[in-house]
Amino acid sequence: MGDIAFNLLIFFVILAQAQDDSHLQWEPAKAAEVQSAGVAKVSVLIDRENRYYVNGQNVGQVQLASAIEGILGDTPPGERKVLLKVHNEAQAMYFEPAIEAISEAGGDLVHILEEDRR
Amino acid sequence: MRARRGRKFLVEPPASATGDIAFNLIVFFLVCASVQPDSGRHQTLPRSEEIEQQQEKMENIEVRLTRTTALLNGEVVPPREFPPRLRRLLDARPRQEDRVVVVKSEKETPYHHWVRVTEMIETAGGVITIQREEERQVVLPN
Repeated sequence: MGDIAFNLLIFFVILAQAQDDSHLQWEPAKAAEVQSAGVAKVSVLIDRENRYYVNGQNVGQVQLASAIEGILGDTPPGERKVLLKVHNEAQAMYFEPAIEAISEAGGDLVHILEEDRR
Repeated sequence: MRARRGRKFLVEPPASATGDIAFNLIVFFLVCASVQPDSGRHQTLPRSEEIEQQQEKMENIEVRLTRTTALLNGEVVPPREFPPRLRRLLDARPRQEDRVVVVKSEKETPYHHWVRVTEMIETAGGVITIQREEERQVVLPN
């Protein structure tokens, strides 16, 4: 019984990881003041290699807006939060299109940052 | 005198329970890992149509970012002087719709620099708008 439960759990963990971005390589930028980001339907990530991910799925720069719009759908205002996770060394030519795509899709932008404790 | 013999209380768990123990351990670590919340900064970007209307009313403040520096209305400003100088400019604009700050970044501007400067703008009471340089492909005739 325990073995079956164990295998089921492993299966669901792997399944959940496909939707998750915790395995991606990036380092957040630091900011003096940060607040809790809360729960969001969509997360956009730009990793060390300047690749774009929407909810852990690799997408091209051109498909960003449509991918975000597809997930947000008819979500009412106030619940259209989009988390933007950008590697701190990423350049404007990579992160600005992502910000523009979130704005175009009607998402509420939240930059994910790390608190600067200095 | 008789020497005291310690009692053995350690009992090994039955082998059949190993799976259950492993299962509970995994659940425990999964819950611990998923509790850590993300922290960050909300940013509201006005829509482009609104900005065009504002441009007709009053000229916007412009911040230009290079790899390491920030230019305020075309003038290089050291990081320490940036917040007070921007605040002075914004104080002269009491209406919210005039407090738009247009941020133009060079392609190589790193995200940490962008975050630091936009944080200063928002703290000073500015409304951030991003203006990207348009890329145009020009085909030269042979």
